[in-house]
Amino acid sequence: MATTVLGPIELEVITGTIRSAEVEIEAAVERAARSPMIRDQHDYRVGLYDARGRKLTGRSYGSLIEPVFEFFGDDIHPGDVFFWNDPYNSAGSCGHVPDLCTTVPIFHGDDRLLGFAQVFGHHDDVGGCVPGSLPVQVHDQWGEGLVVPPIKLYDRGVLNETAFRILERNSRLPEHLRGDIDSEIGACRLGARRLTELADRYGVDVLEGGFDAIIENCARTVRDELLPKIADGVYTFEDYVECDGFTRKLYAMRLTMTKTADRILLDFTGTDPEAEGPINWAIDYCEGRFVRKWMGPVLRCLADSPERAAEIDINEGILDVIDVVFPPKGTLVTPHFGRPTGLRFFILIRALGIFAGALAKATGGRMPADHETIRIWGLHSRDTEGKLSLFREVLGGGGPGRPWADGSDVVHIVPNSRNLPAEFSEQRYPVLVESLELRSDSAGAGEFRGGFGYQKKIRSLRSSTLLSNADRSELATYGVNGGKAGWPYGIEVARGDGSTESLPGMIDGVPIAPDDLVTVWTTGGGGWGDPLRRDPERVRYDVAVGLVTEEAARREYGVVVTRVQGKVEIDEVATSELRDALRSGRGAVPMFDRGAYFESVKAGGGLVRPEGWSDPDDVHAVVDPATPAG
Amino acid sequence: MPGSLRVSVDTGGTFTDVIAVDSDSGDLYAVKTASDREDPSRALVTGVEKVLGLAGRGFDDVSLLVHGSTTATNAVLEHEFDGIGLLVTQGFRHLIEIARQSVPDGYGNSFFWVKPPRLVPLHLVREVPERILYDGAVARELDEDAVVTAAEELVAEGVNRLAVCLLHSYANPDHERRIGELLAQRFPELFVSLSSVVLPEYREYERAMTTLLDVMVKPYCRTYLGNAEAELTRRAGPRPFLIMQSNGGVVTAKAAGERPVNMLLSGPAGGVLGAIEAARAAGISDIITLDVGGTSTDVALIEDLTVRLTSESVVESYPVKIPMIDIATVGTGGGSLAWVGPNHSLKVGPRSAGAVPGPIAYGRGGTEPTVTDAATVLNRFPASLVGGELVLDRDSARAAFEDFGRRFGLDADEAAAGVLEVAAAGQVAGIRQVSTSKGRDPAAYTLVAFGGAGPLLAAQVADFLGMTRVLVPPYPGNLSAFGLQVTDIKRDLVRTYVSPLEPRVADDLDVIWRELEEAGAAELTAEGVEDDDVEVIRGADARYVGEGYEVAVSVPAGLTGRPALDATIAAFHAEHHRIYGFSYDGKQDVEVVNLRVQAVGRLHRPPHRSRYEAAGAAAPAPTTRDVYWPGEGWRPCTIHDRAALTPGTSVAGPGVVEEYGATVVVPPGWQVTCDPAANLILTKG
Repeated sequence: MATTVLGPIELEVITGTIRSAEVEIEAAVERAARSPMIRDQHDYRVGLYDARGRKLTGRSYGSLIEPVFEFFGDDIHPGDVFFWNDPYNSAGSCGHVPDLCTTVPIFHGDDRLLGFAQVFGHHDDVGGCVPGSLPVQVHDQWGEGLVVPPIKLYDRGVLNETAFRILERNSRLPEHLRGDIDSEIGACRLGARRLTELADRYGVDVLEGGFDAIIENCARTVRDELLPKIADGVYTFEDYVECDGFTRKLYAMRLTMTKTADRILLDFTGTDPEAEGPINWAIDYCEGRFVRKWMGPVLRCLADSPERAAEIDINEGILDVIDVVFPPKGTLVTPHFGRPTGLRFFILIRALGIFAGALAKATGGRMPADHETIRIWGLHSRDTEGKLSLFREVLGGGGPGRPWADGSDVVHIVPNSRNLPAEFSEQRYPVLVESLELRSDSAGAGEFRGGFGYQKKIRSLRSSTLLSNADRSELATYGVNGGKAGWPYGIEVARGDGSTESLPGMIDGVPIAPDDLVTVWTTGGGGWGDPLRRDPERVRYDVAVGLVTEEAARREYGVVVTRVQGKVEIDEVATSELRDALRSGRGAVPMFDRGAYFESVKAGGGLVRPEGWSDPDDVHAVVDPATPAG
Repeated sequence: MPGSLRVSVDTGGTFTDVIAVDSDSGDLYAVKTASDREDPSRALVTGVEKVLGLAGRGFDDVSLLVHGSTTATNAVLEHEFDGIGLLVTQGFRHLIEIARQSVPDGYGNSFFWVKPPRLVPLHLVREVPERILYDGAVARELDEDAVVTAAEELVAEGVNRLAVCLLHSYANPDHERRIGELLAQRFPELFVSLSSVVLPEYREYERAMTTLLDVMVKPYCRTYLGNAEAELTRRAGPRPFLIMQSNGGVVTAKAAGERPVNMLLSGPAGGVLGAIEAARAAGISDIITLDVGGTSTDVALIEDLTVRLTSESVVESYPVKIPMIDIATVGTGGGSLAWVGPNHSLKVGPRSAGAVPGPIAYGRGGTEPTVTDAATVLNRFPASLVGGELVLDRDSARAAFEDFGRRFGLDADEAAAGVLEVAAAGQVAGIRQVSTSKGRDPAAYTLVAFGGAGPLLAAQVADFLGMTRVLVPPYPGNLSAFGLQVTDIKRDLVRTYVSPLEPRVADDLDVIWRELEEAGAAELTAEGVEDDDVEVIRGADARYVGEGYEVAVSVPAGLTGRPALDATIAAFHAEHHRIYGFSYDGKQDVEVVNLRVQAVGRLHRPPHRSRYEAAGAAAPAPTTRDVYWPGEGWRPCTIHDRAALTPGTSVAGPGVVEEYGATVVVPPGWQVTCDPAANLILTKG
């Protein structure tokens, strides 16, 4: 279609092609990658960028292109493949060393740079002191695995075989690593072709005009549809990681959000000092472009419906709406070079949570509660020939209660992430899955309760070593607008001698004997809204199917049930009386509930806030919020 | 004495298409009748009566009836889920609630995404004490009393359909079989599906879901198929009544009713099979099919004239793991609406004007512009469609596009051309899903366009993808019903057997394959297929050791033992390379996961005589009218009647070829030739 100017038709085709190219690149990664962490758990991200490194795709966050410019300047040519996993030298765009990032420049003809295609994925193993490359007790990033600064893995089409060999030699699972990298490069090249085809069809100028419009449209959507739902003002919120692998205490991430008519300023000043262990997150590079794009999608919760929320892509345009301010070097989000970062996913999820919490305060409570969905547990062992078996699962947790629905059960924030079927695990690994269930009472109570977490029991069939990389094993997912906190994570081992050992959330190197039974419980989602307003029929159903105990139905919801010939029925009178009693016996309902452990730490003086920083939780629920979103 | 007419009935949501082919003379008759959602058998019988009337024949003349349907899918999409129960292994009662813990689409959607209702609610799931291990060993015996108690409770709760899915039942179906026997004795009224029968493959959630869908549609499918068969038998006496399956083969109506999940995704199969026959006649072996209906477009990639199956399908959000033709569907069709989207974008589909009210130009009350209206505005269509029955209201369509274009600063022509461009781009996305996403370059394939609106946009779609050849088969609007005529009886058998492909397992593979072959052949024999017409094809799903995904390969016939094993490994490396662009031949070990056998009962293909041949002499002479082309504007073009393009004729675009039920657009730079089999071949350059 011959054309020289960008019109609505060209823009629609360009937008649609880029959106479907993102899906196409994802499909290509997933089909050919080798690491279960990428193929099943879907822990990888893809992106298309323009020649200035601006992100065009928006289904998910991505890494950055800036490291290419910083390390290679104009030395960018057809056939190049850039590669890195260095959390610090990648401008903070790779959070931890198992994330290997592959970037392919896209050219129209021989010399016109159109943009970049990028894939990064969480690989099974890149060395370091623990199989899986996520050690809990590690003092610096050199103990976490091989660190690769930005390099050219291919230079004008020629493979840097030496680099590849070093990479492979440093992995306990080299065949996985090789397969993953091959798949990522192939997928990038596929994505690159989509942009060159568009340039062929419409010309480079029209295409680049389309890039500008795609980015502007993101900013406009956020400004026009989402920002008007947030009251202008200054709001603070904070949340915590409970342990850094060495010391158990509250590690606070703090946020001051300033909302004006058309912008949001996120200021992390007040965040606690950097940790000795691997819970640091190096995001204070490149004007915080990575973290601004990472946090932007939370705003979608304010869309008119969940369906509309899913349509809104967050690309580089969000930088026009969200600004960021970092504290000086030396905090959890501004760590000094070389601090360990392997388990930075706790604080990365906290970042979303504190933004959502500040937005809850700015919207009269009309935001989802909290959920915690990334944690890894596993068993590794070697067979008689010394071959490594690495069984790791990313088990989801209960989703958040929100003004329009209960939390979904056992969800994962990573899209399309899948759990491992028992029938697969038992074929592949020396384990027996005794049961896989939802964990009763784990969901935070609320008018819309949280989703339930897992209760999984697995028997190890040979001597192995257990690892658990989990936060929120004592702190809970917070409830919003009168909703209650969910239950935290737990892991324990029942030994052959009849003893039971409860383990901390963050641990590795635990010896497991044949026939030991491991039980893992994952977090329930926080509840939304006053539980005493929950429809008693919904409480009754949860009791009838065993998801909520009768005791919890009384205690949390004020619902009294009876059993008539095996059927669970509501005792209307007793329920009405109990609800009245509970209502009159409590004071003002707080906006947030962080659970019993938090209250006990606070009471014990374990929560020390910076000078001048007041309690961000000191706000009440909005009893009858206006028509909720959705 | 059976007659010579083979009748095929393609039941869609709105219309039931019926074709009869005389296998002696090759004469072909086609009719359409309104579908009946409640009992599709009524429209089926009406349609057969109608086609027999057209042919001037009676029920005695029918030799064979083949039926394909999209209504089983509708039954799922529209069904009340009440009354479905599930039995699972103790410890796994939340299997369906948990699913695979997946949240679809974007990062962070877990904040707002709401999990869809489950096919079976938790209070209708019961656990039974028992446990089988992955190798089939029994770790815990089945508690039969507990089974009976659970079933009693469920029946008391109103369950009338019960699915059974026990862990590792693919490796040892004994416990499920025993449950099946107990239920048949105690609850003869209950509809029951066993996962080890429906889908003996590993992955418990997907197997359970497939089994639930099977039992869910069982009463509906059995009833209507039974009604149709009874009615046909009453009028014609016993005749073979065959039902299209998702894998592109047919089975008897009785067999179809036993495993109705296999009908679920059979809707697009007829069109794909018809396209393959057209390509075969044209001497082309690698094609991409483009089946454009009113609301959506189905595409499939075919190599060596052989359908490729996938078991990664979903109905709504529910996985269905049965083998089906690998098809991608996109929500752009002839009736798709053009609208103003967020950020003032120009959108086409997925909402459609449907049959009612339909496009504006049909004058049946439609008020929003559609793809069909855009083509009308640009004069791509004649003044009337379907042989003059439908006069197009060009002025109203144009007025609508003037309004629509004004919102974008475009005139009506530019806006209409833009809507076609956006619609074509939507179909392009579907083709990429089956081609580039799987390592295939569409430029190496011929696009076979059919369905009412397929030939309208095909050349434009091809342009996007660098494809230079488009094939439009005869009667493109009826191809799906015709495709039902050219299928074979097929049964897919599968057994999970997980093992490295090492020489020591060669004999095991042989034993399992042979068992599957014998079972498949026996099923075909039971359906009346002659031994000479039976063919069995061995296959396997294999992967590199450590992977979680399998690649399906076929194993050459006639090999056994070690050569069969080696051939399987070689085929795996080659297929992996073909799909993903790389393989690890000699570097990494391969393991088998499933062994498969497809038993095929060859049905003889009817010859068919082109309707165009008879019409050729009387075909109207070419005419001229102005047609709009983007970048060129209005220019006079030659309009051909398809019957006038006799084999060997070749004309240059731009132009339009018109026939009953379809319009073939030949843009500037393309030319069209009629091949000896009456296919139109469009080529570029």
